[in-house]
Amino acid sequence: MDFGLVELSAEDRALQSEIRAFLAEIFTPDVFQHEHETGSGFNPKVYEALGARGWLYPELPVEQGGAGFTPVQKRIMELELIRQDARVMMMQGTSSLPMAAVRKYMDPAVADPILKECAAGRAVMCLGYSEPDGGSDIANAKVRAVQDGDMWTINGSKMWTTGAHISTYTFLITRTDPEAPKHKGITMILVPLKSEGVTIQAIRTFSGERTNIVYYEDVQVHDSMRVGGVNNGWTVLHGPLDEEHSIGLDMNGGLTDVSVGTGMCRVLGASMNEVASWAHKATGSKGQLLADDIRVRESLGAAMVDYEAGISTPGPMGRVKASDVLVKNAAALQDLVGTVGLLPMNTEGSIGNGDIEYAHRFAQGTATYGGTVEVFRTIIAQHVLGLPKAQLPGAKVFLAGKKK
Amino acid sequence: MDLVELRRNDYTLEEVSQEVLVAFGDFFSDQCPTSLVRASQPLGFDQGLWDRLVEMGTTTMGLPESAGGDGAGMVELALVAEEFGRAIAPAPYIEHIVTSRALAAADNPALVEILAGAADGSRIVALASAPITPGAKQLVPAGAIAKDVLAFVGEDLVLFSVDTPFPHVANQGSTPLAWWDFDSVSQRTVIATGDEALRIYTRAHDERMVLTAAALVGMTEYALGLTVEFTKTRETMGVLIATLQGVAFPLTDIATNIAGARNIARKAAWYLDFSPDERPELPAIALVYASQTATHGTQQAAHLQGGLGFTVENDISMYFLRAKGWGSIAGDPNALLATIGDQVLASVK
Ligand SMILES: Cc1cc2nc3c(=O)[nH]c(=O)nc-3n(C[C@H](O)[C@H](O)[C@H](O)COP(=O)(O)OP(=O)(O)OC[C@H]3O[C@@H](n4cnc5c(N)ncnc54)[C@H](O)[C@@H]3O)c2cc1C
Repeated sequence: MDFGLVELSAEDRALQSEIRAFLAEIFTPDVFQHEHETGSGFNPKVYEALGARGWLYPELPVEQGGAGFTPVQKRIMELELIRQDARVMMMQGTSSLPMAAVRKYMDPAVADPILKECAAGRAVMCLGYSEPDGGSDIANAKVRAVQDGDMWTINGSKMWTTGAHISTYTFLITRTDPEAPKHKGITMILVPLKSEGVTIQAIRTFSGERTNIVYYEDVQVHDSMRVGGVNNGWTVLHGPLDEEHSIGLDMNGGLTDVSVGTGMCRVLGASMNEVASWAHKATGSKGQLLADDIRVRESLGAAMVDYEAGISTPGPMGRVKASDVLVKNAAALQDLVGTVGLLPMNTEGSIGNGDIEYAHRFAQGTATYGGTVEVFRTIIAQHVLGLPKAQLPGAKVFLAGKKK
Repeated sequence: MDLVELRRNDYTLEEVSQEVLVAFGDFFSDQCPTSLVRASQPLGFDQGLWDRLVEMGTTTMGLPESAGGDGAGMVELALVAEEFGRAIAPAPYIEHIVTSRALAAADNPALVEILAGAADGSRIVALASAPITPGAKQLVPAGAIAKDVLAFVGEDLVLFSVDTPFPHVANQGSTPLAWWDFDSVSQRTVIATGDEALRIYTRAHDERMVLTAAALVGMTEYALGLTVEFTKTRETMGVLIATLQGVAFPLTDIATNIAGARNIARKAAWYLDFSPDERPELPAIALVYASQTATHGTQQAAHLQGGLGFTVENDISMYFLRAKGWGSIAGDPNALLATIGDQVLASVK
């Protein structure tokens, strides 16, 4: 057990200062403005500046485009980026999932140049999993890929492909054997998004995050872009999915967050800080300083208890807890500050330049993307509590046959 | 608060801690079946179990070596508390341990005899929850079996001693609670005064909150286990109720809360051991969250056994009643929330 401050060597301390100074330089005001306008979770200037130093995936060895950082150095980098703005770095996290699969399963002759482009910040990858008919039943994907010699022909549509409009590749779940049980008939293909037949349309969400619907019409992709065996997609997918679900995370001697929920909770933490700062200045109806008001003190205390729970609950359970506490407390903090809690960024009197207003909108998406909290409760029921699976008819369907 | 502090977040238990956990887990499951818990009601104390706990070294492990103890830290004591709570053992483990540690910390020659009695378990000691105000009686946890109670009076930390403890008062948690009329107690030993007194008293309260939090975690986990087993055999409309999301999902929420509450309690214990001046709000957070977890968790666990979960005969009833009964003894949740809030407010100043 260890919760102490990480003791840095002189070298690491110097690196930390260097990183801090560099990030302060590249995260210019227009970067934030760009993110606010696009909601893309990506900025080519920032990514390429980081990539040029091997700092986008700094834990990778230098020959793979990284900087060979130790776990401590990687953690320094991670936290310094969060200090700047986690939103802009979304696609860095998204890309890292398919990158791991590409590295593991593809022919190095094809994979290496792709991975280098990613590490250099010139290419990003998105996740083409969910479809218009439903994202929770991920193994039920219907986008069809048919092989003819060295080429695959892909048809269908994917929904919620976040980052498709700025990505070079999508890591696509395709149906390659409609007769097989659903988990056994899917294949992963890394599809270049500039391919002919790909059409991308924006979907706007009320957190400001942009996502996309992507249509595939007779899209031709070479077999060398297949990731893992034909019809073996479920196994290939599991590596990245488990990572997204915080299952089997290498805790690195406590140098990682205990679950993906910590990132969600930082938005709550930022709101709490803003409310606390506000309470030191604002006064109530009887002229009392709100920092002394029992209602404010108790509400901030309650939020803090939930925040601590959100960042302390491990694995898949942490994902559910963090979303739950964020949803609950974002609304509660808005209630606490009153009408000013409704004011967005760049408006007169908004708290923390709109942080409180933003948190309530942002919170709602966390219950859905990356697998809904209901899907996670199903995972917890089976894998943590060992409860028997429900016998649902769709659990056994054969996609095309719908055999009885 | 700093959201990007470069700290470790490592919950892995050391090997010795793991051994403590297993040893006490085995001890309580052998020595403290629920039949013994039931038989000890309503007082909530079993002398035989207490004697065996003393033999296990429970009353000395947390005392400093200078006081004849083994110098165990809060992390290990919290692990014992988790197993103690799992068994809802009728013994004043928490009260006695935190009070003896406070007495040892006072390092006062007048206490040598009492400390020896506390170490060998022959003298049960306890801690008053609030400062003494003349003319008002106070409900003292373990007050019906303790002859020595540590309390804050004005600027002083005072040990009140009696020959016969005050009579037990019935309570929801079946704990040895008693109304102490401190005014009537003439045997008083001032053990510390001023800042020193406040420091020892605050520390004892923090320790009590953390150990109670850990006990509530074990308690809730045992109750959850009872209901998980029930749902795997109980059927409705031809299916096991465990396969229904209306049953399974609330159970996952209990498990989720337990996992977080356990980590917070252990982290709070670690801070008390290794970094006591930082995160002063953690013991309160640990207690508040574990209390919420236990109250909600045991209620849901009882409810998901239907009418059977509402019966006295079902062991889950004992867990449900102690969730509130033990949690409220260690601190007033609303007062604690305000002090936690004060830390958030202070962190941005
Ligand atoms: C902003 C945003 C970004 C996203 N980014 C990506 C991305 O980059 N790539 C990608 O592939 N997907 C992405 N998604 C899609 C996301 O993963 C899905 O929205 C999610 O998995 C749920 O799928 P659905 O929206 O089709 O809802 P459905 O699966 O249709 O579910 C509808 C409701 O039913 C519930 N439900 C479904 N099945 C069960 C069940 N078995 N038990 C209990 N309840 C159930 C769900 O919890 C939900 O509340 C994104 C979504 C959003 C909103």
